[in-house]
Amino acid sequence: MIPGAQGQAVKPTAKYRSQLRIYVDVMYVIQRESNQAKPTRILYGANLSHDRLIKYLEELKTLGVIQETGTDDKVYSLTQKGIEFLNNFRRVESFASAFGFKI
Amino acid sequence: MEFIAFVIAMAVAYQALKGYKLSKEKTLLYLNLSFVLIGAGLLIDGLSSLIVLLARLRGGSLYLFGVGYSINFLAQLVAYGLLVYAYVHQARNVTTSTAVLAAVPILFFERNAVTELILIFLLVYIATQTAINYSINKNTNSMLVFGAFASLSVAHVFFLIFTVAPIFFPFAQIAQLFGFLLLLAMLLRVNQPA
Repeated sequence: MIPGAQGQAVKPTAKYRSQLRIYVDVMYVIQRESNQAKPTRILYGANLSHDRLIKYLEELKTLGVIQETGTDDKVYSLTQKGIEFLNNFRRVESFASAFGFKI
Repeated sequence: MEFIAFVIAMAVAYQALKGYKLSKEKTLLYLNLSFVLIGAGLLIDGLSSLIVLLARLRGGSLYLFGVGYSINFLAQLVAYGLLVYAYVHQARNVTTSTAVLAAVPILFFERNAVTELILIFLLVYIATQTAINYSINKNTNSMLVFGAFASLSVAHVFFLIFTVAPIFFPFAQIAQLFGFLLLLAMLLRVNQPA
């Protein structure tokens, strides 16, 4: 399981993305790019700064949901665990959205 | 009918729990607790009615009906209250550590206009929220959830009318079952393979 953003104070008017939401956005971009995404595509697709992108990619690799492939240029792809997680997340998102809840 | 509704309520609760475990989103935990309570209330109400019908008691039957209905009412009151809280919580986008539940005196009572009006009030609020969600999302799952809560609202309107005109009881049961079947349809759609 990927941990969500816990213990973070949320300001009433701010609409910050949770850590989980950023993970999922990064993974969605990789999946959209036919499961072979370069860092620049992920950076623009997930709307992240370079530093934060590196941080999140490392965390996702540690969690075993993405893997780095390619020799000269870095390319990221989803692992089987990542694909399964994304499918489960999509179901949960669809369920929550049916009730009007955002995750 | 209560038993079918119980199974569907538990299935919704299970899905919400899975979602909570994955996302740690509190609103899904409230949704889970709500449907566990709704399911438990329906089960107790259904069982007490069944026991009374099977035993064909006369003296004790009214009391058992009262016990079943009282527990079901309290369960629904807390469950729909939690759902209302979840919608308010989401709207304000603030985190709160505990949900404050009203202390309700333990009294057994028959189905009556006041209890039904309270449930109708809560259900209409939830149905309105789901209608707003449907108007924004415009997808079938949102429509099914809106339809479910609208049906449950109508069911309790029939239960309210039933207190003066017993002929409305079957209509209330059918509307309630229809509401839960709509939730089942939504669950099946959500879990169908991509």
